[in-house]
Amino acid sequence: MKFSILIAAFLSASSLFGIEPTNAQLQKALIKTTLAESETQKARTEIIKIREELAVEIANRDEEAAKRAEAEAEMEAQAQKILEKNSSMHISVIGQGVAPMNTSSPAQAYALAKRAAIADAYRAIAEKVKGVHIDGQDLIKNMMVKRSTIRTSVKAMVRNANIVETTFKEGLCEVEMEIIISHSDFAQ
Amino acid sequence: MRSRDGNNNLTLRLCSIIFLTSLALNASEYLISYRYVVKDAIIFNESLDISHAMKSCNGKPQDKLILENTSDSNLNKLISQNQEEFLEYIHKLGLHIEHKEQTINLQNTSTTILTLKTTCFKVDINDNFVIIAPLK
Repeated sequence: MKFSILIAAFLSASSLFGIEPTNAQLQKALIKTTLAESETQKARTEIIKIREELAVEIANRDEEAAKRAEAEAEMEAQAQKILEKNSSMHISVIGQGVAPMNTSSPAQAYALAKRAAIADAYRAIAEKVKGVHIDGQDLIKNMMVKRSTIRTSVKAMVRNANIVETTFKEGLCEVEMEIIISHSDFAQ
Repeated sequence: MRSRDGNNNLTLRLCSIIFLTSLALNASEYLISYRYVVKDAIIFNESLDISHAMKSCNGKPQDKLILENTSDSNLNKLISQNQEEFLEYIHKLGLHIEHKEQTINLQNTSTTILTLKTTCFKVDINDNFVIIAPLK
């Protein structure tokens, strides 16, 4: 009995003494929670800021993409220029020609190669201005391509083309040719 | 017939008629055609045909070319003397292009034909120069 009373007294005393540290712990915990709350608030504000920044960045990227698309569209429009009324278009091509084997002199070889290069340049101009007819045919036998044929043809009339530059190197003649076409040239 | 001032006026008229007819006779019409074939980037069969026009042509002279004349009345010779200049002029006038290309099993062959269809030219041959102009 004595021991039990003593134990009870000891426990009650210890419990009495033990209240104060738990309060302190609670206070500490409260402080911690307040700190944590403030940190979470800070984190939230940061997240909001980051989200805003991300939204701005996304908007910027979208704008850049739109600008790029516009630039590409402009480039394509320039590449596929349409000849409008009261406007002209400049076309430049390079034609290549080879001298025949049986020439009597280098001068003749040059003259003939140049003529062939001019014809090639004319062909290139005609292709650019009028377009090319293309016809293809593939013969397949026993799951194998036996014969593949591509035929292209151009028919046109070219006038007022100018030779800009002529180079002759190692038997190959290159002629740079230009033509300025206007809408009135095609008017009927 | 005698004029009031004597024969002076008549002789002047006669001289002017002779001069004008001689000028008209010199201004003759020629038919010119030009063609060449380029096969696989090599030229073949270049031909420049020049002949007097049997019939008079219609149209007005345009895009004149003036060549130097070294006392020769033959147009063939005159053109052969100034061949490069004349061919450049013909190219400027306009050539028909007919191009065909064939690729069989990745091996390419091509043929290009450039043609100046037979065109009537008015040619004035003088002592120092020749004026050539197509009639359109």
